[in-house]
Amino acid sequence: MLEILQDNWLLFLVGQYPHGPIGGLTMTLFMATTALAFCFPFAIALALARLSRYRWLSSAATAIVHTVRGLPLIMFIFWTYFFSPLVIGRAVGGVETLIIALVVYEAAYLSEIIRAGIEGLPKGQFEAAAALGLGYWTTTFKIVLPQALHNMLPSMVSQFVSTIKETSLGYVISAHEVTFAASQVNNVLLTQPFEVYAILALTYFVLCFALTSLARYIERRISAGRVVATPVVTVAA
Amino acid sequence: MIRFENVDKWYGSTQALAGVSGVVGRGEVKVLVGPSGCGKSTLIRTVTRLEAIQGGRVLVDGVDVGSRSVSINRLRQRVGFVFQAYNLFPHLSAIGNITLGLTKLRKMGKWEARERALAELARVGLAEKAEAMPGKLSGGQRQRVAIARSLAMDPEIMLFDEPTSALDPEMVGEVLAVMKQLAASGMTMICVTHEMGFAREVADEIWFMERGAVTERGKPADLINSPRHPRLQGFLSTISRAPK
Repeated sequence: MLEILQDNWLLFLVGQYPHGPIGGLTMTLFMATTALAFCFPFAIALALARLSRYRWLSSAATAIVHTVRGLPLIMFIFWTYFFSPLVIGRAVGGVETLIIALVVYEAAYLSEIIRAGIEGLPKGQFEAAAALGLGYWTTTFKIVLPQALHNMLPSMVSQFVSTIKETSLGYVISAHEVTFAASQVNNVLLTQPFEVYAILALTYFVLCFALTSLARYIERRISAGRVVATPVVTVAA
Repeated sequence: MIRFENVDKWYGSTQALAGVSGVVGRGEVKVLVGPSGCGKSTLIRTVTRLEAIQGGRVLVDGVDVGSRSVSINRLRQRVGFVFQAYNLFPHLSAIGNITLGLTKLRKMGKWEARERALAELARVGLAEKAEAMPGKLSGGQRQRVAIARSLAMDPEIMLFDEPTSALDPEMVGEVLAVMKQLAASGMTMICVTHEMGFAREVADEIWFMERGAVTERGKPADLINSPRHPRLQGFLSTISRAPK
């Protein structure tokens, strides 16, 4: 196993770069980070829409969230993969496809985390803002979201962990990420699939475990830091 | 300045306010007392429409608070509200809690707002705590910051909803001192409180409420020394006996 790692560590780490496209773990992390970053504004918009006092807006947002959560990610990947060329008139690469699919998919989940964070804030925060005469947008962006997002940081790190694992589905559309790299190695070696995929498993595990530990650490910091009672709600990803 | 006209408020099938009427004149201090659940907090919350009402009218300077044409946020800027649980914004420092309204609503520049906020903090005796986060302040200090936050908006009316009930006894005095100073400066105030010493000293009138209605009102001395209503007598003896 060590030998395989010695011979192929660079492929695992960056794919065929610089002789080919960047890939491996680097691409895995890049896709997960980019997807989460891009889905953030959508997630906030969805969460605010779901909590809106306008029925049509909240119903629409609720429908979107429930639809997305009711479908497997691979559906989104296939749809993006086969439909986006029809829409934009050219083929779309695996990496772009996966990022787009992840943005849509993760936005629904992240919006639920943000919504829980907003709903978990004490009612007094909204009342104090109202009593001062602050409008909806100032209240949302200066008072509600800073606290809700801060409280939800652990859940968001957990969501990032899920996203990292979900990028492995990019393998089916040849997005050059770490699972794809592992299969390349396996195709070369042919006889040692157990070892190769053990390395892959270990790679995911170390990364995700480190991040989950970070989430736990942040959670402790948050509950210790805020003496003023703000309940920390954790949503299972 | 504030006029309640037959105010009715229902929570589902329970009536929280039953035909409350009354007038608070400019510069007057009214103290609302009564057993818990009698509607005194609800009543002051109707003044800035933190509670909607189902019957009657609440007028501030002749303007119907419940009217759809009223810009409620504009009205709220003129009426300060102090909560029992302080409700400071925990992610902002003491001074940040105060400057937010100044920069966002009064459109002050950052430095002008800071100066104003510092002046308000000094007024409640907390200038040196400007940068402290609410979590690092004592209950009494938090409540004084909350009062300073309201005062910074230059309100014409201040409403206090049991501002000392959540405090340890040794901190009640510092908050009451700020409120007394405010009353002396001519602020129009409605205070929901059980601090009868405070009421006796600063109130122009005490309103005794029960079951959503004001059942007795009068000068503090008259009302405290010779309560007519037997239930008011009972109430006064319970709160004076209650451990503080």
